[in-house]
Amino acid sequence: MKLAIDERWNLIDKIAKQVVKYGTYRSTLKDAIEEITVKPLTGIPIAIAVLYGFWAFFGAFAGFFTDGFFVKFFDNHWLPWLQGVFPGKGGWLYYILVGDPTASNCFEAFGALTSGLFVAIGVVLPAIIAFYLFLTILEDSGYLPRLAVLIDTVLHKIGLHGFAIVPMILSLGCNVPAVAATRALETKKQRFMMAVLLAIFIPCGAQLGIMLEIIPQYVGFVMIYLFAGFFIFGFILNKLIPGKSPEILLDVPPYQMPIGRNVRGKLWIRVKGFFTVAIPFVLLGVIIVNIMYLTGFLGWLANVLEPVLCGWFGVPKETVGPLIAAFLRKDLAVAQLSTINMTIYQLVTSVILVSLYFPCVATFAMLIREGKEEGWRGVLQYLFGSLATLTAVVFLWGGLIHLVWIILGVV
Amino acid sequence: MGDPNVGKSVVFNRLTGAKVMESNYPGTTVDYTRGYMRLDGKDVEIIDVPGTFSLEPKDKAEEVAVKMLRENRDSIIICVIDSTKLERGLYLALEIIEEGYPIIIALNMWDIAKDKSIQIDVKKLEKVLGVPVVPTIAVSGEGIKELVSRIKEASPPDIKRVVERAGGVK
Repeated sequence: MKLAIDERWNLIDKIAKQVVKYGTYRSTLKDAIEEITVKPLTGIPIAIAVLYGFWAFFGAFAGFFTDGFFVKFFDNHWLPWLQGVFPGKGGWLYYILVGDPTASNCFEAFGALTSGLFVAIGVVLPAIIAFYLFLTILEDSGYLPRLAVLIDTVLHKIGLHGFAIVPMILSLGCNVPAVAATRALETKKQRFMMAVLLAIFIPCGAQLGIMLEIIPQYVGFVMIYLFAGFFIFGFILNKLIPGKSPEILLDVPPYQMPIGRNVRGKLWIRVKGFFTVAIPFVLLGVIIVNIMYLTGFLGWLANVLEPVLCGWFGVPKETVGPLIAAFLRKDLAVAQLSTINMTIYQLVTSVILVSLYFPCVATFAMLIREGKEEGWRGVLQYLFGSLATLTAVVFLWGGLIHLVWIILGVV
Repeated sequence: MGDPNVGKSVVFNRLTGAKVMESNYPGTTVDYTRGYMRLDGKDVEIIDVPGTFSLEPKDKAEEVAVKMLRENRDSIIICVIDSTKLERGLYLALEIIEEGYPIIIALNMWDIAKDKSIQIDVKKLEKVLGVPVVPTIAVSGEGIKELVSRIKEASPPDIKRVVERAGGVK
């Protein structure tokens, strides 16, 4: 027998009346915290403080390990040792794995075992750990959904509601799980918009870590520029894509003390994911770019693309190497940019380009997988939809920054 | 199975010793996970599914949950309910009962219900529904042992009898 919806609720009413008793409710400290974190007047300053705390912790933690330990270890011990013992100096294998034999630091050497390992372990690993540690605590305490309530007003304007903030925040760690998390959004339109927007505009933790190392004073600017793009193109996509963006009611879970066991467990799952996915890609990225350089292909491509790179974006043609590396890993691409001779403004532009331009291969594969959830038509829609958005964004939003520099007269 | 953010994944991890992602907000689990536990000397498979409010899915993650239910006709359902939101959890539990699945209910977040002075008469609820009901605090592991020991008591109750015992649907 099946009940009608009304009958089911009537039945539940009857059962609940018989089994549930409500005692007098006492306000607790939790309720007080609840109040001040969701009321806009107090909630917004608290949110800003929490996010600033997040940022400060991220920078301090990553800086402590990277500058305090890994830079010294890799530049003073690992690099000279490897340059000394690796056979065949000047040969192609030496160039691919160790890189420039005269390099004095691991940013410039650009071999798989020097720059590759340094970027992955020395710079990105501490950043990833710091990011996920803080994120896990925010998640488990229950603060994240409160942040969603506050940000809802803004996201609302681009047809994304409430929990759309969860994929956004996750993607600051890594875009791959973030794309998967869009599955919790209600309509196909919302899922597509969120997945494409975050893959294009939100830099991942690995990229953030390396940006902090290379252009610490401009990271804030880059982030604001990217988020502004997120909202502007979100607004446009919301108008262009057919479909609905129904409103949802948020269910805010209770505040809880994070449990050490769970925090450790989650941190471990995420860091393990980094080791198995990121490190092989970083090494592969270095090897591919080095081979392209050795065969002369990179030089040829740089000359072909020079009019676009120099003319439209105002960056040196040598950035073509990092742009290729960005297919595999964005962190690697940013590290590589730092070794090219250019002005700080060109560097900022190219960092922005690396972010906007093609999502890394792992994210792209995930996008296609999500498309497949909607059938074969979904795959085509995700593929061409994301490529079209991507092309528009790179040329318009990436070109605009060049225009800004021209207007400011710093080119 | 259960509503979003009632602690299904926490219960799953407790039962299987697995490590699936648990977070304090809805929508952490968007796909199913299989795991194994020992029950009466046998290895039995347990599936953790995304949260859903009803068997009429509203998003992709809920679809996964409903699909898994339909594909595993001979399984026992562990229905996890947030004790502070009993009515909402019962809605899904009743739907599963109507489909004829054997079911056991975990009244999770029992500690939070206590904090909010919500008292649930577990014995009475068991009697009305005709299914085992176990209060649990999955994050600390309380009640999980009892939950496991009572899985074998789960049997498909007749919804007509539930209606009779509760006193009608009007």
